Amino acid sequence: MPNLRQNNMKKKILPYLLLTPMILIMGVLVFYPVIATFSYSLKKWKLTAPNDIHVVGLRNYATILKSDSFWYSFRNTLFILAVVVVLTTVLGFLVSVFLNIDVKWSGILLAVAILPWALPPYVNGILWKFVFSSGYGFMNKLCIGLGLVSRPVEWLSSRWSLLVVVSLVVTWRSIPFMALVCLAGRQSIPEGLYEAARIDGGNRRTIFRRITLPLMLPFLGIGITSTSVTAINVFDEIIALSGYSDLGKNLLVESYLTTFSFLDFGKGSAVTYLVMLFAGILGVFYLRNLNREVEY
Amino acid sequence: MKAGKRIGYVLALAVFLILTLGPFIWTFVLSVTPEYAMMEKNTKLLPDEATYENYKELLTAGSQKGSILITGIKNALKAVGATLVIGIPVSMMSAYALSRMEFKGRKIIRNLLLITMVIPVMATIIPLFRLFVDRQWLDDVFWLSMVYVSSYLPMVTWLMSNYFATIPKELEESAMIDGCGRMASFLRIILPASYPIILSAALIMFLNTWSQFQIPLILASSLETKPVAIVVSEFMTKDSVQYGLTAAAGMIAVIPPAVTALVFRRFLISGMMGGAVKG
Repeated sequence: MPNLRQNNMKKKILPYLLLTPMILIMGVLVFYPVIATFSYSLKKWKLTAPNDIHVVGLRNYATILKSDSFWYSFRNTLFILAVVVVLTTVLGFLVSVFLNIDVKWSGILLAVAILPWALPPYVNGILWKFVFSSGYGFMNKLCIGLGLVSRPVEWLSSRWSLLVVVSLVVTWRSIPFMALVCLAGRQSIPEGLYEAARIDGGNRRTIFRRITLPLMLPFLGIGITSTSVTAINVFDEIIALSGYSDLGKNLLVESYLTTFSFLDFGKGSAVTYLVMLFAGILGVFYLRNLNREVEY
Repeated sequence: MKAGKRIGYVLALAVFLILTLGPFIWTFVLSVTPEYAMMEKNTKLLPDEATYENYKELLTAGSQKGSILITGIKNALKAVGATLVIGIPVSMMSAYALSRMEFKGRKIIRNLLLITMVIPVMATIIPLFRLFVDRQWLDDVFWLSMVYVSSYLPMVTWLMSNYFATIPKELEESAMIDGCGRMASFLRIILPASYPIILSAALIMFLNTWSQFQIPLILASSLETKPVAIVVSEFMTKDSVQYGLTAAAGMIAVIPPAVTALVFRRFLISGMMGGAVKG
């Protein structure tokens, strides 16, 4: 019966046919470039010296790991990562508690809550730059008006205060996702569990410690790992707040400047690979959390 | 609510609204503040009189700034169109195969796709830049949009396959017993049942494309391709004196996504939750 066999063949190749466009797009625009970037990172390759391109092995990595500029950016990345993750987790959880209160305008509040997530991160950075601008921006008007300082503060001109502002803006954009994940976690806990605990005489603190927290942990895991990946990959907000300067640069800005300002493709690629290693370790935890959620 | 609780709630509401909406309100105030009032050294928060000159200048196609901004908006919308036309069918096909068919290599393909979610843009952009220079794609919204699509596919495919997995298999099986082929059953059973997730995916892709900055910074330098966020960034660096105009441009750039998010909040929220959390 040739017809049936033909049908069977069709059945077998159909999934691959359906996946072909995706595989082509991901292959050409993601997997090939990722591998190519690695091969670039092993080369001496400056656009300013186009005739002098050759393989140097791991020398780019060695130079980078010895440079102050790299470690400056590394420390900035760590600072942003730590501040953003801690603030986003705490504030995102609080916002989820707030949003979980049932009021008439809950829907609208939820919509307002996701606004910072929905808008262009670069433009978010600009909005906040106006708040913290050096002359008579909002923050300075407020601080002077309240008598906290007598002259305008240069918020964005010193390393640590700039990094604090960057972290706040990134936190502002990351809270919505964290809050929604926490909300989903909170709503997945059956009300019956709480009733049973109350009948057993549990007070609010033990209920929180014994029921709410452990059952929400997997959700918090997703929120925290995804926030970490975001925090390592911050780019738009830094450029919006401080331009292409060295002051607040993190590893991604370092990689961008090395590649496209100093036109050193070899070293730029190597910096990128180091960032990817860093983000990849966190990424593995993220994917593990996602997959665990699926089986449940 | 008890009185104490009610006061606490009102306070929390006020803090939440100020911190979330404050930057928009302040930027709006700046955008309608006359240039001379901006330079005054006082602590007044509101200007004595409002001017809408900045918006007028930006929204007339005749002015130089206005035409650049309008072109940027058009470019962003073109990219949105292209990403949706390519991204939605491609992700649906992949999600359908990955969630409802058994075949060799399914797990590997799924995991490889998911792994790309954590690859930073910078790790692919240098070879892509070379590719774009070689092929002369730097002035082409289509290829730029393809790069966007490649960065959304993992997330959107994941979202859709989670959703497809919740549609009962029996529905499809009974359709196939009635003589429907795989394709017909997809079109008659799966497609109609999944319009909410398609809408969620489309919204997420729209918002992300509108927000693009890092990729077009490198791959879209010409007037024909650069999107609105890049145009705003150029206002910021070239005319840092004209705060009012930049503020107005920023407001114009956030209005389309803000309105979309408010109107379609239900789909957007279920999409955001579905991407990370199943069910």
